[in-house]
Amino acid sequence: MKKLIFTLLFISAFALQAQIDRSKQPSPGPAPEIHLGTPQTFDMNNGLKVIVVENHKLPRVSYTLTIDNPLFAEGEKAGVSSLTGSMLGKGSVHIDKDSFNDEVDYMGASMNFGHSGAYASGLSKYAERILELMADAALHPDFKEDEFGKEKDLLLEGLKSNEKSVSATAKRVESALAYGKNSPQGEFVTEETVNRVSLEDVKNFYGNYFVPENAYLVIVGDVKFKDIRKQVEKHFKGWRKAAPPVANYAKPSDAQYTQINLVNMPNAVQSEIAVENLMDLRMSDADYFPAMLANKILGGGGEARLFLNLREDKGYTYGAYSRIGADLRTTSRFRAWASVRNEVTDSAVVAFLGEIDRITTDKVSAQELEVAKADYAGSFVMALEKPETIARYALLTKTQKLPENFYQTYLEKVEAVTAEQVLDAARKFFKGNQARIVVTGKAADIAENLEKVTFRGKKVPVRYYDKYANPIEKPQEKRIAEGVTVQSVLDSYIAAVGGVAKLETVKNMVSETKGTIQGMQLDIIAKNTSDGKVLTETAMMGNTMSKQVFNGKTGYVVQQGQRMELEGEKLEQMKDNAYPFPELELRNKETVTLKGIEEIDGKDAYAIQNGAYTSYYDVESGLKVFQVFTTEVNGQSLKQTFKFEDYQDVEGIKIPFKTIMDTGMGMEMELHTATVKFNEEIPEADFE
Amino acid sequence: MKQKFLPLALLVTAILPATAQQVSYEEYDLDNGLHVILHKDNTAPVITTAVMYHVGSKDEDPERTGFAHFFEHLLFEGTKNIERGQWFKIVTANGGQNNANTTQDRTYYYEVFPSNNLELGLWMESERMLHPVINQTGVETQNEVVKEEKRMRMDNQPYGQFATALFENLFDKHPYRWPIIGSMQHLDAAKLDEFLAFNDKFYVPNNAVLVVAGDLDTEKTKKMIRDYFGPIPRGKDIVRETFEETPITQVKKARFEDPNIQIPAILTAYRTPSMKERDAYVLDMISSILSDGKSSRLYKKLVDEEKKAMEVGAFNYALEDYGAYIIYALPLGGTSLDVLVAEIDEEVGKLQNELISERDYEKLQNKFESQFVNANSSIEGIANSLARYYMLYGDTKLINEEIDIYRSVTREDIREVARKYLNPNQRLLLEYVPEESENN
Repeated sequence: MKKLIFTLLFISAFALQAQIDRSKQPSPGPAPEIHLGTPQTFDMNNGLKVIVVENHKLPRVSYTLTIDNPLFAEGEKAGVSSLTGSMLGKGSVHIDKDSFNDEVDYMGASMNFGHSGAYASGLSKYAERILELMADAALHPDFKEDEFGKEKDLLLEGLKSNEKSVSATAKRVESALAYGKNSPQGEFVTEETVNRVSLEDVKNFYGNYFVPENAYLVIVGDVKFKDIRKQVEKHFKGWRKAAPPVANYAKPSDAQYTQINLVNMPNAVQSEIAVENLMDLRMSDADYFPAMLANKILGGGGEARLFLNLREDKGYTYGAYSRIGADLRTTSRFRAWASVRNEVTDSAVVAFLGEIDRITTDKVSAQELEVAKADYAGSFVMALEKPETIARYALLTKTQKLPENFYQTYLEKVEAVTAEQVLDAARKFFKGNQARIVVTGKAADIAENLEKVTFRGKKVPVRYYDKYANPIEKPQEKRIAEGVTVQSVLDSYIAAVGGVAKLETVKNMVSETKGTIQGMQLDIIAKNTSDGKVLTETAMMGNTMSKQVFNGKTGYVVQQGQRMELEGEKLEQMKDNAYPFPELELRNKETVTLKGIEEIDGKDAYAIQNGAYTSYYDVESGLKVFQVFTTEVNGQSLKQTFKFEDYQDVEGIKIPFKTIMDTGMGMEMELHTATVKFNEEIPEADFE
Repeated sequence: MKQKFLPLALLVTAILPATAQQVSYEEYDLDNGLHVILHKDNTAPVITTAVMYHVGSKDEDPERTGFAHFFEHLLFEGTKNIERGQWFKIVTANGGQNNANTTQDRTYYYEVFPSNNLELGLWMESERMLHPVINQTGVETQNEVVKEEKRMRMDNQPYGQFATALFENLFDKHPYRWPIIGSMQHLDAAKLDEFLAFNDKFYVPNNAVLVVAGDLDTEKTKKMIRDYFGPIPRGKDIVRETFEETPITQVKKARFEDPNIQIPAILTAYRTPSMKERDAYVLDMISSILSDGKSSRLYKKLVDEEKKAMEVGAFNYALEDYGAYIIYALPLGGTSLDVLVAEIDEEVGKLQNELISERDYEKLQNKFESQFVNANSSIEGIANSLARYYMLYGDTKLINEEIDIYRSVTREDIREVARKYLNPNQRLLLEYVPEESENN
């Protein structure tokens, strides 16, 4: 008997062991189905469609109102939609702005409004009040002239600050060229169009377009359908039934042949490249998933081909990506993009075209496809955790007319995609033969090489555009007049600021400069001597941040308490810039060269290069107006620029009192010189 | 019309009770002592597999500090069936994410996967518990990594050593007095045998909780857990020492020099009770009044209005055995540290002498309610909370009931707790200052 029990035990123990083989990594189970919960819906008589996803796990609720109107163009008053959006959410005709904001805060809720919808969320115990406040602010806005003025100024300021932005220009021109500048998707907002918008226009726009015909209200969270339905009906009943005006627009068309569209931005230190073509794809199409995976493999992230090629392999850029779109009613775009150094612009274009050629010629490898699927499925799944995602899917199912089980079977569909389907989709949507390669950059540096680019054995023609997508003639390179030399440019600069004799009286210069960076006060004190010594101290909010010292021979930098000795190239640069007026010395330096004439803010300037520094001297006035410093940070080339303005007379010498510095990392800083003094007593110890 | 709308609404919202929040879960023990908590939520096909071990820096030998954190690194080196260097690759190739962290009280490991990889997650964690590979190569590799981490996160980081400086001065007997990262000398001196012994002692099922949270099938999951974790042998019972501190009755002053900073900081720290005590919750609410948000008292006064401080903060660093209530400030311009202390004392004094207003109290309740709700908004967060409440608080139910503790706190409680713990003679005053440079 005993023996039997032992045997049974042995067997069961063995059986238990045999169920799993832990020496092997478990393989994934079948792709999970998505349990999104079945949304409950109802339609109101005024046209508003309501989708409710009850989720009682957490006592919170979110409301998303989306007005899915067909696209429309704003024409000569472009900007009216944006202004209408920013005028909403400032209380209502029933409750003033301050009380409205205070109550939202008190409830711990959050609320946002736009020209085609609104969003609110908070604890479900305040569910009805949050809905009521959101509906009230959205449906009964109090459009006030003073608020309108503020918002208009803000919008204009935003446009102005973007005027010289290469990336903003690139985005604008890329859409305008792809879709046509008078189309809903290609039109853009300018100072001129914003200035035409009046408060009356905002009211009209609101009246025409903020209507319930195409409106969806998605509610997710801890609410009961029965109750919320009553509340929605109560608070949205007053929204009068109306449809937006209908307009028809011509369907946009692709370029007839592959071409480079060069947008000239003389101030660009980097080129923005976008390879684009139009595409008609709906989410419900059979090739939707193959197309998404093709894009994932081409440029969908840090593991994709464009990134591996242009960044990891060639080091042209910090990142290169691509994206496709899909929409039921409108044409979308395929777009692959990167910001690259001027010098490698043409090579980068060639690399982009090469990758498009490769993915439309050869099948992707089984492993690439595998990883792309895992990555794609993984992010889909992780995103599902957020209630916002679930709400978005419920809405897309309606607006994109998707099969009811679209998201439930999403992962299976991803899994089923084959390499052949990916190739077919790539060929259909990445149109190598009709690509528009929009390059926004400095034509003087990049045009010559771009004109040599070939693709599939043919030369790719280059066409030129201005910042607002108007075709222009190829910008002609400026010729330097006979007799102009490094010497003559520097001489006329010296003459313009006061003359050799005057400058030579300056034994030292002490200047104080102020600026702000991210809201914090910055103070810079610089001491330069004519025998080539310098001390620069930078303080932030009154505390010394960094210090640079050069005694004519050796130098060091202290940053955040850490001292670094300067050597090699850095030491040389310090030496050249130590003098109050480096140009006096540069006249005698052999390696300094005259690079040509370039436009700085629309005016011609001579470019003089000294190692990593290029300085620009205005042809007309002789003054130094701009300087570019090229350096390398973590293997990436970085350009810092300085613009010099507001020259003022100090004891007969002209000094720029305003310097606009761009750190090269997307941060711009305005520096104002407070005082400049000559021939002060400076203790020698300062330079030790 | 405008008049009528608002007061009525306020009245209604103020008296509405909150809907109770329920995170459902099931918990049980395996024969080997492994505690298991399952939280089923099929909303999204996401699964978190997490293991919390009840071992932190406070369990270390005073001559071998840094062991607990060192293990958090060592246990990614591989197992009998997972080759060295493969751990992260397996996770990524299966669409997942993973990480780990160590505190004074516990060490936590977790993976998040699409739910069809639940078995993979269980396999990986059971491999780690059953037979991690601990050898000289791994120890040497991770020794370098940990040193690099210390350089990056502490030695080179402005204000990176404030916790070290604070805890070594606030505690005399309790192991909370040494830093989690520990001593590099101790780690260098440690022999492979000692690492193996530490593993045998603490990395055992009876000292761990496994949480599986998300899109799961309860029965199938239980079976897989039995299969993968059942065969892991139980370890010896762990006997923990207790340490009792003598109360501070006279202000302690200390100074620490950080070579990475330019702007000094003043830190005041009060020794407070275990995070399990009700008073610890009241202290959380006091922090919120003092420094949470732009309308909070210290922020509004010192940063916004008087511009005496660049930054100010108050928080309760609550741990299993004790806590540290910390209020700190960084001066702006020429403000002296003494002035900042005086300002802080004034605001704390108000809390000790006056009741907060009814409206402030309601706002506070709403804030904690919101925080509580959002803390449980991700599966990953729920998994961590379940493990923590079970292991450190000894009460898994707190996932649903902790808010009741906050709700029960009265305005009088806030005043009493401030009076009980936040007195000037009960604290440490730490001047955290830039290192004096030898060049000057």
